[in-house]
This record gives sequence, structure tokens and C-alpha cells, in this order.
Amino acid sequence: MKPLKSLLTLALAGLLTFSLNTKWGSIPPLGKFMDPFQGFWKNAESKTTSSEREFALDGLKAEVSVQFDDQRIPHIFADNNHDLYYTQGYLTAKDRLWQMDFQTRFAAGRLSEVIGPKALELDRFQRRMGMSYGAENMTRAMMADPEIAEIMQAYADGVNAYINSLKPGEYPIEFKILDYKPEAWTPLNSALLLKLMSATLASGSNEFYMSNILNKYGNEVVADLFPDYPYREDPIVPKGTKWQFNALKIPKAPEGNPVIGNATIKTKEKEEGIGSNNWALSASKTSTGYPMLANDPHLDLTLPAIWYQVQLVNPSMNVCGVSIPGAPGVIIGFNQKVAWGVTNVASDVLDWYQVQFKDKSHQTYLYNNEWKPVKTRVETIQVRGGETVSDTVYYTHHGPVVYLQNQKPKDFAKANNIPEGYALRWIAHDESNDVRTFYMLNKANNYDDYRKALTYFTAPAQNFLFASIDNDIAITPNGYFPLKWKTQGKFLLDGGNPANDWQGRIPAEQNPTVKNPPRGFVSSANQFSTDPTYPYYLNWEFSGYERGHRINKRLTVMTKATVDSLRNLQNDNYSILAENILSTLVSGVDQTKLNAEEKKAFSLVSKWNKFYDAKEIGASIFEIWQKQVQKEIWDDEFGGKNSPMRYPSRDRTVQLLLAEPTSKWYDNTNTPQKETKNDILLKSFKFSVDSLKRGYGPMSDQWQWANVKHTHVPHLAKIAGFGTKTLFNGGSKTSVNATSESNGPSWRMIIALGKDLKAYGVYPGGESGNPGSFYYDDMVNTWSEGRLNELVYLRSKKESSERIISTWKITKK
Amino acid sequence: MLFILILLFSLVAQFFLPWWVITPIAFGLAARSKENGKKSFWNGFFAIFILWICMALLRTLPNDNLLANRVAEMLSLPASSYNWLILVFITGILGGLVAGVSAFAGFQFRKAFLKGR
Repeated sequence: MKPLKSLLTLALAGLLTFSLNTKWGSIPPLGKFMDPFQGFWKNAESKTTSSEREFALDGLKAEVSVQFDDQRIPHIFADNNHDLYYTQGYLTAKDRLWQMDFQTRFAAGRLSEVIGPKALELDRFQRRMGMSYGAENMTRAMMADPEIAEIMQAYADGVNAYINSLKPGEYPIEFKILDYKPEAWTPLNSALLLKLMSATLASGSNEFYMSNILNKYGNEVVADLFPDYPYREDPIVPKGTKWQFNALKIPKAPEGNPVIGNATIKTKEKEEGIGSNNWALSASKTSTGYPMLANDPHLDLTLPAIWYQVQLVNPSMNVCGVSIPGAPGVIIGFNQKVAWGVTNVASDVLDWYQVQFKDKSHQTYLYNNEWKPVKTRVETIQVRGGETVSDTVYYTHHGPVVYLQNQKPKDFAKANNIPEGYALRWIAHDESNDVRTFYMLNKANNYDDYRKALTYFTAPAQNFLFASIDNDIAITPNGYFPLKWKTQGKFLLDGGNPANDWQGRIPAEQNPTVKNPPRGFVSSANQFSTDPTYPYYLNWEFSGYERGHRINKRLTVMTKATVDSLRNLQNDNYSILAENILSTLVSGVDQTKLNAEEKKAFSLVSKWNKFYDAKEIGASIFEIWQKQVQKEIWDDEFGGKNSPMRYPSRDRTVQLLLAEPTSKWYDNTNTPQKETKNDILLKSFKFSVDSLKRGYGPMSDQWQWANVKHTHVPHLAKIAGFGTKTLFNGGSKTSVNATSESNGPSWRMIIALGKDLKAYGVYPGGESGNPGSFYYDDMVNTWSEGRLNELVYLRSKKESSERIISTWKITKK
Repeated sequence: MLFILILLFSLVAQFFLPWWVITPIAFGLAARSKENGKKSFWNGFFAIFILWICMALLRTLPNDNLLANRVAEMLSLPASSYNWLILVFITGILGGLVAGVSAFAGFQFRKAFLKGR
């Protein structure tokens, strides 16, 4: 009896220990996690840190010194490229290892390995989109360039030196929550992170929707409602700029209508997710007598911060700015001579080609009246706590057939705009050496260096803004732009017709560009790159012109600009959309049909100053109102009940509201009676007041725009408690400060060039990726309040700054 | 005595070994001690309860309980300004429970197999 009892209690102790050492569903292994020696408590960083440290690392060629400023931003001093990037890798891993690991897994379609079957469809999607295939091609091109290969390898070695120094108790907290280990870093991982930028910024695709619209409404309606140049525009390269080159011959469009797709999957309204701005002023317009440059790239905001600030110094460079955690060099920044910044170019670099396979074996497909062989790529996905899944993807010369007929998963939002049976031609699959562009910009001394650097850049295409101490300013929408016939890729394409293929590229030096224009400034805000005189086709639709127009208007009248005047412009909440349509909306409302509360709201919105400031109730009313107006006008025709479609652009809606008061599109085709424009305006206004009431109670401070907008920065893996609280700030998608719920300026930077260079910046996060660090979100409030931090920029190792709080000496082992 | 031994052995071992080392330590030391079942359990329990609480406090106080409050939110503890303290206690109870059960198993083992000693 006693032995049995003994064995039972022993088994109980064993079982208890075992179950607390095991991950159950999404619950971390609690014993392991709560253990104060090696579990999450160990990630709680002390407020006080030692100021001096000296240690040795394998793999360094000489001694490296690192100075940390009061925001824990490292300033790295090395003797050569190898040691510089090695140390950048080491320090970035120290602060951001889990973020780097997780994003790489996300990009490569390897999340199932750590979070199990629920990530399987996402992994399959990433692989079918060819993310790894593209990253492999990119790695091949980078490693063929000896100078870049050395940088990539040194960075990876530095990351690995850090990983190898870790004991399990020192892993970042998310590894402990998800219960897995970091794995060795390779240049391919860096490439995957760069590909992720293409996936975020250059994977938009409307052709599936557009083909469905063309199919239903025909050419005339498409030309009317989805025109190839907007009603209102203020292009990046100023109107009337002359093109200084002889353009290549434009390929001829094939005869007849493009291929029509059809499918029965419902889609969601496409959200405009990008709102980046940048501009540079020539010396004639600044108070310093030197150019100034400002940039705020907008992205989906997450913690740990998207960017990682760093200063990199060796005998051939001294560059400062933000890097992508996981990739070497500085992406947006400055040195003593030049500064540069980027915003996204919405050029069409992603097309869909209908593929006709010979038979169900998918071994050959029809191209130019011949059967061409298909290449297959077998993707193997290891699922945690489950079996290993393999997935065969068929590649044509265009690219991968993302989903074969009837292969598309249901209820998987990411796949909504993807047509079945079509091959994907995407610039992100091509070999590219984009890291070289940034490497050369980091070392650039002047305008010529800038122009040379840009020729190496492929994707995602960016408006590269530039300013130099020699008083040159310039902007170049730049990347690999395929040479296309006009509107090629606006609709789905027939993959069997060679005339539909990309016919090479626009020569890099013929990409749109402007240097030192007479107006004394250059700027961009994702709008059209040029006026219609540019000989090549880039895309039929770009982001709305509102932000760009506001920036240009304000810069035109700006004289003796200071850092503060540029900072104010970055935080400008004025809405050109409201300027364009508010009075039209207001004048269309029959006030006799409003109840008391609606009258109060109407009076508020009529008097609203058109600034989306945090405390404006008028902004809340207008925002919901104008969105509902768009929905009321278009949803009956373009809601995509049977086949996915999209609405005409905001620009086209504005044109309709201002210039076509009796258009047939106002009528709701789902009702017997005939609706007019004013019916829609009244109904939408009532909807706006009603939805605010439902969401926030009777009119009160709760209706203030910041409460309705609800800006916050979530954690990358959406772990509760690891994001920010709701931030009380202003901004809108049609304001320069394009801050929305969790999308906004991921980095704000202003550089005043000159002998006494001054640099300012902030991002919504902190340098550390550890939620248990005081430097995890220490810049969030500064960011939310629209202020900037002065950046520490050391001219040399010897230069002292009172903001340096800690120094590391890293010797070679 | 058992209490002190489990605490000290675990303190040293936990700097090098995974957390579950407390199970064999509590088991082995209880098997060698002369305490009865009830006392074995509570000696084991309080040894690790106190060790883990002290260690957790040592980590969280210099951190202004920043991380503990975030983890409390992650674990959906009801929002309060003492969340971090609740988490410290949960930590202590969790470790204590494992050590207590293990020590009790050690006592049972002694009774069953080591009676003669």
C-alpha cells in the first residue's frame, strides 16, 4: 500500500512539474514563465544601468567603441566596414531580437513552426506569394556584390554573436511567452525583412476588382469613374517640368479587351493605409541659409518600434538615422554633407496573368501558342504540435500561380483581391541589390552620389528626397518601373499573349526627377509622380492629392523656415478634403428635417474649422458623414455583392459632389424610389450623429475626435498589455498628419543642414524592444504630442556630449 | 531545517539549472529529513514561496513594476495598481505548490522505501 501511495504522490509531483513546463494552447508554460530566476521576471530591467562596460567578441578585427545616449541610442565607432556592421548587428539583436525573428518567420511563412496550426493559412499565403523565392533571388544578387556581401555577412555574424551569448533565461520575453528559441541569423533573413517592406508598400492590387467592374459596366463607366488621371492633382515633379531625355518606344497594347476574371468571394472596402510625407527647402527659404529636409514615413504602427535609431561611424562614413531592425545600414537619415528621406510610390509593379494549363497535372501552360513547361516549388511547412504540411506552387515565367482554381481559402482576408488561376508578376521576386543604394547614400557627399546610388534601387519604389550642404535639393520617384503600354495591368491580363508581358524597364536615369526647381522646394505625399506629359505609364491611380497640395501651399508661402515651422507642418491636421466638400455637404442638408440633437451637431460641423484636432467634435461628425456619403453613393453599384469590386476613388467622389449634382449614381438602385444627392447628404448626416450616439452616448467630450479616432500602438503579436494605451492626438488620412487608429508617422525627422548641423527625430516607441525596459516606449508621448527629440550626432569619437550616458569598449577576442 | 535546506539548495541551483530543479530538490531533501507529511509539505511550500517571492521582488522593484503590470494585463488580471503584487504572490504560490507536493512525495517515498533509516 505504502509503495503505491508513494508512487502516486511522486507521479503527482512529476505531473504538476511537467504540466507547468508545457505550453497549453496559447498559455505559456506557467512554471517556466513565472520562475523569477529564468522566467519573465528576469526581463524586468533595472532603472539604473552601469555606465561603463568592456568585453570581447569573437570575430571583430579591431576595437570598437559604442556610446549610448540618454535614449539608449547607440553611436558606433569602428575602424572598418566589417566591424561597423558586425556591431550594428550585435546591438540591434540585443534590443530587437524577437522582433527580427518573428518578422522573418512571418515573411517566410514560418509562423506555424512557433504558433501552431492557426498560422498555417497565413504561412501558405506568404509562400504562395513567393516571399521566400523573392528573398532568395535578392540574396543571390547581394552576395554577388563583394562589398555588399561583406556587409550582409558581418551583420549576420554580429547578430549571431549576440544570440550565442544568450542563456535561455536571457531570451526576450516573447520567446518565453511563445516558448521557443531564437535561431541563427543569415543574410537571407535580412532579405526577407526587406521583402516585407515590398509586401507592405508595393503589393496593392486592384485589377481583380477592376476587371469585375469592367465586366459589369463596360468601358465607358470605367473611363468615367476610374479615370487614368485624377480630377485634382498636384504632382511630385511640378507641373510643366520639362523632360530632359529621349524616351524609349512605348510597347503597343494588344487588340481587344483584357481578360475578364470572375469569382464569388466577398471583399472589404479597401482602406487607404499610407500617408507618408517628405519635403526639402532650398537655402533661399530657410532661416539658416542652408537647406532643410523633413520626412515622416507612415506605416502600421507596432511595438517594438518599426525603426531602430543608430549612428554608424568609420573612416569612410559618419551616418545617423533609422535602420530596419534586421538589415544593415541607415535607411532614412543624414551625414555631415547630405540628408535624405523616402515616401512610397504607388507605381504598378504587380500584375496578374491568367494561366491556361494544358491539363490537371499543371505541367505545361499556354504561352504564345506553345505549351511551355511549368516549374514547381514544394513548400514544406512544419506545424508546431502537428504534422508537416507540403504545398506545391506552380511557377510560370510570369511568376507563381498563387491559387489554382478552387484552391483559394474561404474567410482569409489577405487573399480577397487575389484571382484564382492567375500567375503573379511582382517586382519583389526579381534579383535586386537595394542595400547598395542605402550604403551609397550613407556615404554620399553630393547630388551626383545621390543620383548614382538610386540606380541600384529596385523595390518598393520610393520618392527619394535629397538635400545637400551645397544647396542642392531634389526628389526622384525611383525604383524598377516596368516599361508598359498605357494602363497595362489596370485589369487582369491574358498570360498567354506575349504583348502583355513587361517589356523591360524604364531606364533608371529616365525615372521622374526634379532638381532645384524655381519654387525653392521639393515635396511628396504619395500622390502622382508627374503631370500627364511624362512619356511613360507608372499607374492609373495614386494616393489622393490632398496632403501633397496642403504641403505645397504652405511651403510656397513659407519664408525663413525654422525647424519649428517644419515640425508644425508635419503636425498639420487641416483637411483639404473638408475644404473641398464641407460647404457642399452642409448646404445640401434640409435643416427642417433635423431633430434637436442633430441640429446641435449640424451647427457644430457647419462652424468647424476643418482641422482634425484632438478636441474637435466637428471632425468626428464630418469624418463619419463623408465616409457614409461615399458608401451611400457607391455601395449599391460597386459593393460587390456577387463579385468583388471597389468604389471609385475619393477624388472621383469629390468631383461627383461638386460638379455632377444630378448624376444617376446618387440613386440607390436597391429601392423603388429615386434618391437625390440631397437625400444622401441628409441620410448620411443622420447616420453620423446616430452612430456617434450609439458609440459614445449623447453629445459630450466623448465625441471629441481623439476619442473617436482611438489612436494606439499595438504590440507586433497583439499581446495584450504590451502595446500603448489610447493616445489623445489629432490627425486624419487627408491631413498632412495622417494619423489614424494604428497607422501613422512611423518616424518623424527634420534635418537642418549646415556647418552647425541640427537633427531632430522621434518614433512612436523606444530603442529597446523589451516591454520590461524603460526605453521600450519612452518616445511615445513626445511623438503623440507632436514634439521631436534633438538627435545626438557625434562628429568624432572624441567629441563629448552630456547626453552620452554609457560607453562600451568592445575588443577582439 | 528542511525549510532552510530546500531554500538554500534551490537558490544556488536555480542560477544554473531550469526551474523544475526545485522538484527533485524538495523531493530528495524531504526524503532524507525526519519531518512528517504535513510538515514536509509546508516546509517545501514556504521555502520556494519565500524564495520566489524574494527573487521576484528583487527583479521587479528596481523596474518600478513596469513589466509585472504589463504581464498582469496580458494574463487578464483585473486592472488595479496592485496587479504587480498579485502577480508576485501568484508566482510564490505556484512555485510553493510544486515544491510542497514534491516534498510530500519525498516524505511518502521515505515512508515506503526508507523506513529503516
